[in-house]
Amino acid sequence: MLLNRRNSGDRWRIRPDGPGKVTGGLAYLTDLTAPGMLHGLVLRSPHPHARILSVRTEAARSLPGVAAVLTRRDVPGLNRFGIARQDQPVFCEDRVRYVGDAVAAVAAKTPEIARRALGLIEVAYEPLPIADDPELALRPEAPQLHPDGNVLHSKTFRTGDVGPIFERCARVVEETYVTPRQMHAYMETEGGLFVPGENGGVAVYAPTQHGLMDRLQLARILALPKERIRVVSSPIGGSFGGKDELNVQPYGALLALATGWPVKIHNSRRESVRAGLKRHPMIIRMKTGTDENGRLLAHRVRIIADTGPYATLGAEVLNFATEHAVGAYRFGCVDAESISVFTNNGMSGEFRGFGGNQAIFALEGQMDRLADLLGMDPWEFRRMNLKSPDEPGPFGQPIAKTDGLAVVWTAVKESRLWRERTEGASAAGSSGLRNDKDRLPASEGSGQPQKAEERSPWMKIGIGAAMVMHGAGLGYGIPDPSGGRLALRGDGKIEVAFGFEEFGQGLLATLELMLIERFGFAPGDIRIVIGDSDAVPDSGSSTASRATSMMWRSLGLLQRPFEEKLLRAAAEVCGVPARQLRLGAGGVWGRESGERALSYEALAGRLAEPIVCEASTSYPVSDTDIVGAHYLYAYAAVAVKVEVDGRTGRVRVLDQFHAVAAGPVMNPQGYLGQIEGGSSMALGYALMEEAAMERGKYATNNFDTYLIPTIADLGGSVEVWPIEDLPEGDEHGPRGVGEIGSVGLAPAIAEAVRRAAGVRIDRLPIDPARLQEALPIGGMAVMSDDR
Amino acid sequence: MIDDGAEPAAAEAVNAVDRFWESTVNGRSMRLKVPPAKRLLDLVRDDLGLTGTKRSCEIGRCGACMVLVDGAPVNSCLMMAYQCAGRDIVTIEGIADENGGLHPVQRAFLEEGGYQCGYCTPGMIVSVKALLDAVPDPSPEELEEALSGNLCRCTGYGGIIRAVRRAIEEGRENR
Repeated sequence: MLLNRRNSGDRWRIRPDGPGKVTGGLAYLTDLTAPGMLHGLVLRSPHPHARILSVRTEAARSLPGVAAVLTRRDVPGLNRFGIARQDQPVFCEDRVRYVGDAVAAVAAKTPEIARRALGLIEVAYEPLPIADDPELALRPEAPQLHPDGNVLHSKTFRTGDVGPIFERCARVVEETYVTPRQMHAYMETEGGLFVPGENGGVAVYAPTQHGLMDRLQLARILALPKERIRVVSSPIGGSFGGKDELNVQPYGALLALATGWPVKIHNSRRESVRAGLKRHPMIIRMKTGTDENGRLLAHRVRIIADTGPYATLGAEVLNFATEHAVGAYRFGCVDAESISVFTNNGMSGEFRGFGGNQAIFALEGQMDRLADLLGMDPWEFRRMNLKSPDEPGPFGQPIAKTDGLAVVWTAVKESRLWRERTEGASAAGSSGLRNDKDRLPASEGSGQPQKAEERSPWMKIGIGAAMVMHGAGLGYGIPDPSGGRLALRGDGKIEVAFGFEEFGQGLLATLELMLIERFGFAPGDIRIVIGDSDAVPDSGSSTASRATSMMWRSLGLLQRPFEEKLLRAAAEVCGVPARQLRLGAGGVWGRESGERALSYEALAGRLAEPIVCEASTSYPVSDTDIVGAHYLYAYAAVAVKVEVDGRTGRVRVLDQFHAVAAGPVMNPQGYLGQIEGGSSMALGYALMEEAAMERGKYATNNFDTYLIPTIADLGGSVEVWPIEDLPEGDEHGPRGVGEIGSVGLAPAIAEAVRRAAGVRIDRLPIDPARLQEALPIGGMAVMSDDR
Repeated sequence: MIDDGAEPAAAEAVNAVDRFWESTVNGRSMRLKVPPAKRLLDLVRDDLGLTGTKRSCEIGRCGACMVLVDGAPVNSCLMMAYQCAGRDIVTIEGIADENGGLHPVQRAFLEEGGYQCGYCTPGMIVSVKALLDAVPDPSPEELEEALSGNLCRCTGYGGIIRAVRRAIEEGRENR
């Protein structure tokens, strides 16, 4: 059934954080202020690569209104950070390696004084040759960024020697795919408020995806016990992976501790672009061969990722890309080698899709090219080569068994869009789905109704589709613990606590709905506690599409003990056996009487101490020895219709259909939002987004030159079709959908554009000039036969 | 109102805080001592504490800081105090009625889920209100035109379009 408000009934709910968001009343962490607050700014390198000869701060320090100027000498603990590997300097020592590298930080009474003080810090640099091309950076003569050279990480997965097999292949496609440096472009730039405590500690109010990880990293930097650092980390104005790593927190915390005053930092967009993470640009070479019937025999993959100057999660992203470059298909033999290379370009790191976006763009490109070469329907070609539920994962590892691949494949096969492609526009008519009652009335679609198909001769239409199999959780070899807490507090509130973050995805709403549906609580009974390191258990990071799964699993573990404790306590108060009672809205109810026996408030009033249950669990992991290999996957298939304007080379997305198999839908509004929102990021990835760099410097600094989709780009219809079935006995419940929507649309657009314009896309974003050349307006009559 | 023909060289004079800035903000008369060249965005957020107006691109491309000036949507990062002195300014905090009852556009965003992280939402709602006040029943093209200066990175605009449609329909029913 199509996912929309109407079909969701009562499960479509107003989010608990909604009223504050539509009224402007919700204070984001960058909206906070404090009496006497100072303003912090960070001095960053103007050079992509340089030796620091000297740093002089006297003039800046003596400017009236300046409270502190900090450099590397002022870091009491470890002058490094990084979630996986601590190699990024808080303040650079003798070298800067990218234009976002920090050299000093200032706190002053006003932002204007802070800015003037930055200008008074004298740093003498000796520019060094730069490594700005990841392939050249691998050569021995290239400038070396680190003592161990320019290789962050390499990953190999090989099942045999593909060389001789390619000689036997009837069809072979070899292609090089190039993907762009995509920016997260969260609307709220990095920032927050940093408040020194009375005990020498500090309270950090700054967005992150894992408050307890920030606390750990800050404890190392500040040389403070973790307990003296409080990290308040939600609400967040968007993250998409981009705020997973530390950003301004070390500077804010150091300045607050150095001055003894609250310090506010809020990055300008320009600084956010310059210092922040981006999606790894990758060069992916694939050679893939089949027999004469279209069976995949051999697949060779070579990936080079530009990881920028420091690690963050570059190694993990590369593992993920390698796994997903093999993906959902049954290859006779695989030979994959990937390498992540340090450069003096901007920082690359974690970003929604986590390397899957690049890999699957390339992999699906291979499938479309091979099908074309074989003269086969590309969707049938995929079906022939898709793995069955009993087969292992991409790395040969055991995975949770589902029919996900087959069901999303079938959904696209039967979709209106795919029928329009295979049978022609007239055959498909307007009936997109299985039966008419599932159809979207025009007023409920997310886009405008399509105009009749009367198009100018230079307007070309094409339809394409792509498959996605996307891993969730951190994968084998990385500790992936989680857990949560349920309590009946003294005020009668059912308090649920998780160490997760709300960055817009709707985690609070999902959690509220889970509690209502699983326990029967009323919304008013519930208090949700997240995003505060002093108040939450360690649930792990809100990343890798794992939070919904982990909340579901934790609440499953908590349900029986919590209910039993509450009912036992209620039974004592009421003087009836616990088995005659049940939990419900507003309190404990008599099973037979159907009447409320006791409100939660009354029950809490009779307790000597609150009832508290904690659960510890961890993300399910594959029985393998391959680091990064996943156990749970979500599956998606995307079909898209585009229009290419031969005059301008511009591509317009007209119609999208997303089938997603990720287990039960925990929160319809959140699920729909993730797929719609993720796909608009993929649309930007395919058609317009690139944080271009020239000689190690950003050529794009803001939204005037870095373009993200506007409402005018998303006017077309978007249909989301969740497939909730899981095999009998499946213990893992909902798979996350936070990332999967951001993956499949780009390769589907590439194929749709190929159909429309006859051009094979090997590089994103798609260059309009190439489409203009392919569709000369005078040549329309000839070209139109291509379809 | 302060004359905007001040000597460009006399930056200090332009920023001298020797006169009161007076305007109506969310229906209330305001009288503040602020430099005439102060951005309306900073004035609203820092001097008036109205943080529903968001800071994001600061070059007028994203719409997160959209406010109404005499009913027209304006990126408050691009307007200086002297340019809006004496005018009627409405921020997201002034969209609901005096008793806190949500404006129909706000209600539509809530019910349709026209937001996720919410950071673009105040500016988006301000732009939608301005559009529907001027054109109660806009065409899809008018809607795209009116909202293409408001960037949203989370929703893909699906929920936003549904919310606006709902607000339009409700407006139609109530006319």
